[in-house]
Amino acid sequence: MRLTLLVNDERHELEIAHTARLADVLRDELGLVGTKIGCGEGACGACAVLVDGRAVNSCLLLAAAAEGHSVTTIEGISRDGLTPLQQAFIAEDALQCGYCTAGQVVAATALLAVNPSPTVEDVRAGMVGNLCRCGAYPGIERAILRLGQVAPA
Amino acid sequence: MTRLVRSITEMEGRFEEKWVLVSDDEPEAWASDRPLAIVGHETPRTTGPTRVSGAARYTTDVSLPGMLHVAALRSPLAHGRVTGLNREAALAVPGVRAVLDSTDTLSFRSRSGPLYAEPEHAGALLAVVAADTLVAARAGVKALALTIDPLPFVIDVDEAFRDQRIDGEIAEESRGDVDAALAGADVRVELTVETPTQLQTALEPHGAVGWWTEGELTCWVSTQGIFDARSELAKRFSVAPERVRVVADFIGGGFGAKQGAGVEALLAVELSRRTGRPVRFINDRHGEQLDAGSRPATRQTVRLGATGQGDLVAIDSEVLTSFGMTGWRAVNTPAMTLYRCANARGVEANLKLHLRQGNAFRAPMVLEGVTAVEQAMDELAITLGIDPLDLRRRNFVDVDQPSGLPYTSNQLLACYDRVAELSGWVGRDALLEPSEDGLLRGMGCATQIWWGGGGPPSHATIRIGGDGIATVVTGIQDIGTGTLTAAQMVAAEELGLPLDRVRVTGGDTRPNVYGPVAGGSQTSPSVLPAVRGAAAEVKRTLLQLAGDVFEAAPADLDLVNGRFRSSDGALDEPYTEVTGKLGNATVDGSGMRGANPDGMRANTFGCQVAQVAVDPGTGEVRVEHVWAVHDIGRVINPLGARSQVEGGILQGMAFALSEEVAFDPTTGVPTNAWLDDYKIPSIADVPAMTIAFVDVPDTALNNVGAKGLGEPPIIPTPAAIANAFRHATGRRALALPLTRARVVETLA
Ligand code: FES
Ligand code: FES
Repeated sequence: MRLTLLVNDERHELEIAHTARLADVLRDELGLVGTKIGCGEGACGACAVLVDGRAVNSCLLLAAAAEGHSVTTIEGISRDGLTPLQQAFIAEDALQCGYCTAGQVVAATALLAVNPSPTVEDVRAGMVGNLCRCGAYPGIERAILRLGQVAPA
Repeated sequence: MTRLVRSITEMEGRFEEKWVLVSDDEPEAWASDRPLAIVGHETPRTTGPTRVSGAARYTTDVSLPGMLHVAALRSPLAHGRVTGLNREAALAVPGVRAVLDSTDTLSFRSRSGPLYAEPEHAGALLAVVAADTLVAARAGVKALALTIDPLPFVIDVDEAFRDQRIDGEIAEESRGDVDAALAGADVRVELTVETPTQLQTALEPHGAVGWWTEGELTCWVSTQGIFDARSELAKRFSVAPERVRVVADFIGGGFGAKQGAGVEALLAVELSRRTGRPVRFINDRHGEQLDAGSRPATRQTVRLGATGQGDLVAIDSEVLTSFGMTGWRAVNTPAMTLYRCANARGVEANLKLHLRQGNAFRAPMVLEGVTAVEQAMDELAITLGIDPLDLRRRNFVDVDQPSGLPYTSNQLLACYDRVAELSGWVGRDALLEPSEDGLLRGMGCATQIWWGGGGPPSHATIRIGGDGIATVVTGIQDIGTGTLTAAQMVAAEELGLPLDRVRVTGGDTRPNVYGPVAGGSQTSPSVLPAVRGAAAEVKRTLLQLAGDVFEAAPADLDLVNGRFRSSDGALDEPYTEVTGKLGNATVDGSGMRGANPDGMRANTFGCQVAQVAVDPGTGEVRVEHVWAVHDIGRVINPLGARSQVEGGILQGMAFALSEEVAFDPTTGVPTNAWLDDYKIPSIADVPAMTIAFVDVPDTALNNVGAKGLGEPPIIPTPAAIANAFRHATGRRALALPLTRARVVETLA
């Protein structure tokens, strides 16, 4: 099927199978491999991207369903240099192998957009769908809370 | 001067004598009290910006023109015989380029498999299909229309033991007279506990991209050991190692499971050789959970005998390991080494079961052994009415008992003191008071022992040119432990340059600078001394050149924080005054890890205390706080070290609370080999963690004074949690993990 996707503010005309998942279209068709596949079943959040600002697991979304919406990947978030959140991730060592990190950054970006000064409980509730096998959670939590403290309430 | 000497090397407790290249110019170990400018200070990891921006390229991200994709057909049975595979139908699927199964003669040999006609575990590879797209490859697998006859299987420990399905020899090691000592002991305890099958579950599955071009082989592999992968590929495909290049720029976790090339790389290369195309083979999650390995389950019986004062007189340990058809034996290491005891015996057998063969998972075997021995020690303390930490202090030992050799360093007693102080250990019984929330609280402790001294061979080179940037070339792959950052720090420290003037590379065999596998907690203590050696050589040359430029005696100069300074302070010039004159020339240095000290054993030590809250109604156990104090010699990067410990604690906690492969007893097939029902920790499960290091450099071990940190933090966590549960509830669960059902049963 033909499909128009708006990804990182760029319009892409694509010819894809109607069963194609957004994650695969991003990675294989558009070369945006910052989005990772950890499970392919909606359990890990490594594939999270922003769809109209909300974090969505792109392995569970048909690409066709993203038509007419604005998709932002980790590449889009990083386009103008590292965001303060990404800098906080580095400062707090919120990553080890880094395989989950793009998804974590995406989910945290979405969380902070609706809740600029989250509590520990907010962070935990908001990030519970993003698994990190290396166990970088304490750093992730510190990084997000650090942002909350500097952001205007 | 470099020389070849015979030296003992160690990897996860296996000792070997080898020829080792050593340098007479290796720098002296940094003295313990010498202030260092960079080493020992919190440093963000050098790969941070690449990783947080999504720019890091993992094996799963490698995409080459014309590349084929592989889908796998796996055994749906624990034991069976393939009776039908429709290869023609698979090959007829549009886009399918190749099919391999057990009837194909591969260009490499392996002891069994890699493709089976009679699979002996669920998830074993039966066939692979390579196609233009993954979708086509999967359609090809479907078209194979597997038919398979079931064969009898055994996955039950009792049944296997009754039938004496023992793999090879039963291992037995002993010293003294255990039976007599047990009989004569004032106090005896006996405990039988079980530990679960735990899956490594690296978030990036095993995978490889193989590309065979006219006898040259390039392979991207998600591996912990690029040089091991290179030699394996060279040997299996009969290619000279220098014609094989293995690349692993970024690895999405390994935790022990990603050794060497792996079957994915072997099959990707085989398929590439047959099709002339690059081939990518990445496990899907279900395949990964079924067939990428595990920490095998154990059943252990520990008997301890002691005097009335708490001096151990006998340790007797029997272990059954559910390794699959074959495995190795080291579960009794803690029983034989952890405490001073003249009479000790360890008996260990692997049961032959129709399970995926176990493999390395962070602190393999030792974590399991500590989990049993440390619970038995807890029972002994309770029986004796002695504080569990005091019992451990009392039985502290400062030599490796099986060999009788002293340790290069051992700060375990300091770990006990510090962890007691941080956790408020002496007041722990206050937790037993009834609480308003109705939860039962308690605190437990456990000791950690592991090797982690590293050793040769390990090499590094450093080159600095006219741009003033020093490039460190290593052969290590950073699986997330931060070793590249540590290498950058050590190089900058020794060179006297700011961190941002030093770049560090790894993850590629092409420069042919050898580094060890990232395993066994050996990378830092192996590689960092080599990096420092290379930096020292570069610095010597730079000081010579500075002497020429500034007309000064090199011996009177130093390079500090990027400036050449004379001892009287009269000269103070930026280093670029010298490197800027190099033009296209470079100054090079190379370093190597020296031999380990003769007649000593290098080990890491530590102690953790856990506090749990148990809901007796629902059976939920929450870990509220873990205090961890470890002796890893000098801490190179406290920021990265803290992350390592946090990650280790979380994996250990999950081993104690939630992670367990469940099998369908009627089929022998795992029922939770996905990520949504195999419960690894989420951010909501994270306890408070207080982490400290004794931080006394091990100057006898190597020139930077560092020991390893990969395994230590996972080792004592499960036993500390189990002991805290015992303290809180007065009951001991006879098997981990402490799932709700098991807890309710234990409290009933
Ligand atoms: S890959 Fe999409 S949730 Fe795991
Ligand atoms: S950093 Fe490795 S999975 Fe999160």
